[in-house]
Amino acid sequence: MSLNDKLKELRESGIDDAKRAEHLKDLNDLRVKLLGKKGPITQALRGMKDVPKEERPEIGTLANNVKKDIQEAIEARIQEVNQRIIAQKLQEETLDVTLPAQGHKIGTKHILNQTIEDIEQFFIGLGYEVAPGYEVEEDHYNFERLNIPKDHPARDMQDTFYITNELLMRTQTSAQEGRDMDAHDFSKGPLKMISPGIVYRRDDDDATHSHQFHQLEGLVVDKNISMADLKGTLEALCRHVFGPDREIRFRPSFFPFTEPSVEVDVSCFNCGGEGCRICKYTGWIEVLGAGLTHPNVLEMSGIDHTKYSAFAFGLGPERFAMLKYGIDDIRDFYTNDIRFLEQFKGVN
Amino acid sequence: MKISMNWLKEYLPVEHSVEEIANKVSLTGIESAPVKLGTDLSKLVVGHINSIKPHPDSDHLNLCQVDIGEAEDVQIVCGAPNVAADQYVIVALDGADLPAGKKIKKGEIRGQVSNGMICGLDELGVKESLVPTAYQKGIYVFPAAEKPGADAKELLGLNDEMVDLDITPNRADTLGMRGAAWEIGATYDKKPAFTDPKIDDSKVESVNDVTINIKADNLVTDYLARTVSGVKVAESPLWMQRRLWNQGIQPVNNIVDAANYVMIELGEPVQIYDLDKLTDKAVTVEMATDASKLVLDDKITKDLNHDDLVINSGNDTIGLAGVTQGQKAVVTNETKNILIESAVFDGTSVRKAAQRHDLRGDASNRFEKGVDNGAVEISLNRVVELINDITDVKSISQILVGKETPAKPTIIKASIEHVNRLMGITLSDQEMIKILDRLGFTTEENGDELTVTIPSRRWDMTIEADLIEEIMRIYGYENLKGTLPSGNETNGGYTPQREFINKLKNVLLSEGMDETITFGLVSKKEATDFNTIDSEYTRVLHPMTEDHEYLRTSLIPGLIKTIAYNKARKTTDIAIFEQGRIFDREEGNDRPKEVEYIAGALAGNLGADTWNTNAKAVDFYDIKAIIEELLGFLNVDATFEFLPSEKIQNLHPGQTAVITADEKTVGFVGKLHPEYQANSSVDDTYVFELNVDSLLALAKKNVKAQSAPKYPSINRDLAILVDKKIASGQIVKDIFNNGGEYLKDVNIFDVYQGSNIDVGHKSLGYHLIFQNPNDTLTDDTVEKAFTQIKDSLIDQFDVEVR
Ligand SMILES: [Zn+2]
Repeated sequence: MSLNDKLKELRESGIDDAKRAEHLKDLNDLRVKLLGKKGPITQALRGMKDVPKEERPEIGTLANNVKKDIQEAIEARIQEVNQRIIAQKLQEETLDVTLPAQGHKIGTKHILNQTIEDIEQFFIGLGYEVAPGYEVEEDHYNFERLNIPKDHPARDMQDTFYITNELLMRTQTSAQEGRDMDAHDFSKGPLKMISPGIVYRRDDDDATHSHQFHQLEGLVVDKNISMADLKGTLEALCRHVFGPDREIRFRPSFFPFTEPSVEVDVSCFNCGGEGCRICKYTGWIEVLGAGLTHPNVLEMSGIDHTKYSAFAFGLGPERFAMLKYGIDDIRDFYTNDIRFLEQFKGVN
Repeated sequence: MKISMNWLKEYLPVEHSVEEIANKVSLTGIESAPVKLGTDLSKLVVGHINSIKPHPDSDHLNLCQVDIGEAEDVQIVCGAPNVAADQYVIVALDGADLPAGKKIKKGEIRGQVSNGMICGLDELGVKESLVPTAYQKGIYVFPAAEKPGADAKELLGLNDEMVDLDITPNRADTLGMRGAAWEIGATYDKKPAFTDPKIDDSKVESVNDVTINIKADNLVTDYLARTVSGVKVAESPLWMQRRLWNQGIQPVNNIVDAANYVMIELGEPVQIYDLDKLTDKAVTVEMATDASKLVLDDKITKDLNHDDLVINSGNDTIGLAGVTQGQKAVVTNETKNILIESAVFDGTSVRKAAQRHDLRGDASNRFEKGVDNGAVEISLNRVVELINDITDVKSISQILVGKETPAKPTIIKASIEHVNRLMGITLSDQEMIKILDRLGFTTEENGDELTVTIPSRRWDMTIEADLIEEIMRIYGYENLKGTLPSGNETNGGYTPQREFINKLKNVLLSEGMDETITFGLVSKKEATDFNTIDSEYTRVLHPMTEDHEYLRTSLIPGLIKTIAYNKARKTTDIAIFEQGRIFDREEGNDRPKEVEYIAGALAGNLGADTWNTNAKAVDFYDIKAIIEELLGFLNVDATFEFLPSEKIQNLHPGQTAVITADEKTVGFVGKLHPEYQANSSVDDTYVFELNVDSLLALAKKNVKAQSAPKYPSINRDLAILVDKKIASGQIVKDIFNNGGEYLKDVNIFDVYQGSNIDVGHKSLGYHLIFQNPNDTLTDDTVEKAFTQIKDSLIDQFDVEVR
């Protein structure tokens, strides 16, 4: 067999072996075996001395080509085997992605505080300061400064936990009004504040009463504050909390520290005003009380009621949350059943 | 107060439905609801019992032959004890509807045909307490002849429609039909018309046979009276009875009923005494003497004192002014001559007396909210007129004046410009004047100024703001267009304290803790259990229950209660916190300081047993990790330490630390004491509490950016054997004290005690990390520092370096 033919045969058998190899190791071995210094091609080229001189370059080229072709066949096969190995690995690693995962849990903010913070953020955006206040308050601020002198019948409307004759658990966050008006420097501009917090009443706890609950008071004092300003502000609040399509309406009411006083209803967010169980088939839901600050209240803070006017409102976060989420027992806020608390994860 | 449409029509043309009126009045004046009586009643007629005989097969039933206005009498079986021949009664016919879905059917009762039922008022839905006493245990009998077959429902007023006014304290002027008519009239731009009472002049005698003395002058504005002789006490006519029970007042007799009727009609409470039972022919309005008594009936006697304003006659107290009268001079069926009192008493005095003696009622309710002192005489005369109309009395005295204060109209000035500016509206002068006229106010105009004259029936009106409210509400709040305050810009926001609180809460939420809110008023035990601040207790004067009697001194009891509550509901893996105030009172002060705290609790497991994870019971270091993370977020320049403490009540003495910041206590962390835990019905629970205000007061860290270290650090491991009682914290502190300026960090990687270790000792292993931010550290420098550390530990704690 001519050297030429021998080389061609080596090429054929080498490519054939490469194609049949199943493992990377076999392919590496094949490469060493066929292309190494002791391999058959090198061996075959020792027969070059028998080849006429003029044919030698041709044989040399052929030998190089044979080497190259085998090399390429091996490389191609290596790629194929690698592909197969990866495919197998991917299959072996396949998980049931529907299995539940266990990870780090994030706690849930109490729904009352979520409700309060939502309202706070709304008013902060309108330039209101958030004032704290005292849970133990003087009779003076809780009542007298709110135009409720001793012996005023309105004191019967709010049964009070007294600590001494002059000290009590505040019954309303309105108690903060006098303190904030006293402290405010009106030469620096209007007073705009909200004051959220806990209040106390001598009530028996039941589904609709709690001896402890929250309130959020709002107060704006400036020249030219009007009832229309109150309506616009509360309209915007109710739309923020209960939805952009909400309307509000005012009904006359009575609070000793505002005159005129109004109850504020919001159009039912459940039925849109058609009438349903939530709005007691009226299309409206009472959500808060408000009014223009009584001249006596302004004057007691040394504010000239002929130059300045003010509006105030007070709302109940419990009521807001109960309406918005359909909570029907106020006690649920304070018994802290974990299952109750966690259902409000991230609602606000 | 319920405003009967039938009654209202006497004063005002009423064209709208009761629903429409209630809605409109709610929007312009007083919150109202429509009430429709008798919607569940049908086929009720007047029956006349022509004859009655016992049921042959019963010892208590009777067979009544009843004329129901048809050709023939019908037989009705009746078991009422008060049924008798010749009575006019209520008959529910075959097919009649009664309340609660009850239906009357013709049938047989013990073999005798019964064509319906003879009814009591309570069976028609009238509350039993409002049924005249004589008819409470049986059927109702009409006080006079009625036409058989006539609609009984209508005769009894049980078809009436009413507007139920939910009256705020400032609108007590509508606690009478006349006031309500003014209000509803103003709403619809209609003026009510009233007829003033007329006294039969022929019966008036000019004999002042009773003397009236007003001794408590400051508490009595008006006191008028008349005596009437020759009254005939009987049942009131039906028209009066039905109006009373529809008002929630039980008809008693024509005298008492006339007084109650006038109270509803005019809003003025009137009291009537049996003249012949007065101790002498004089009444005195004065303060009670201490230890005197008011006998109300055979069972109830009230002990009076010098704060009680009373009506006395001789040495006897016949009434508590404005509240009630006693048994002494009460009108009975035998009464012949009466004294009628129409007065105005001080509201506060009446309110306190009514509260003190637990006798609040229709009269005291009106006095405490105020009554029109311009209607005292009309009310008195109206009672006399009614009693004379009903019982044809013998004689009437002239008005006996104890005290009379002329009723003056109120005059309020208002600026048209101010009204418009405060409301944000643009009403013309004429529009305002017209609204005021609808309310019955007269107005004079002078430029921008309105001078408004307000009748005494609207005693609630005192200042311009009151007038503004009247104008606005009648004009209609629905006409008000919302605007936003147009003043200067303001910077809104939270206080620094609140910002800080928000941050702390966010860390705990991120740590997986749910936020709770518990009560500020707690039991004595809860106030005592974790009073680590050593506060005096603060108690409310009149607690509702022992559970909510003291102001809390710690947030921990609330958290434990929450864990127990959840455990009882099978939730045992709990991570919760609360942020709130505790009340710290110093001896000698009444007022406690309100200090913001934040507290947390862990119980049960961290994580859960699932297909790929294992639950782990929480331990001390889990809660400590949370606190360390929290403290790390404070951004303060302070050194925090956890100092072992055996002294905190109700905590485990071996698993409790006091937390200090720069050596000042800011809180604690620990495991509940096993005994306390068992008594609180909770399992292993770890708690912490931190004083937020103390943390807020710490100096803020001045953070300046530093680039990441360029030079490598050098580590050394230190293993020591040390007495078990020595805390790792002490060792670490000592390492830092001696480690030199390049010691950057000390991390404990091993704690071991047990075999191979001497009893009473433990083995501790630390990684020490040294770093020079500005240069490459040499082994030599580190070795020097390391030696110094070891030497000090040997010296200070007698450690064995391994
Ligand atoms: Zn609705």
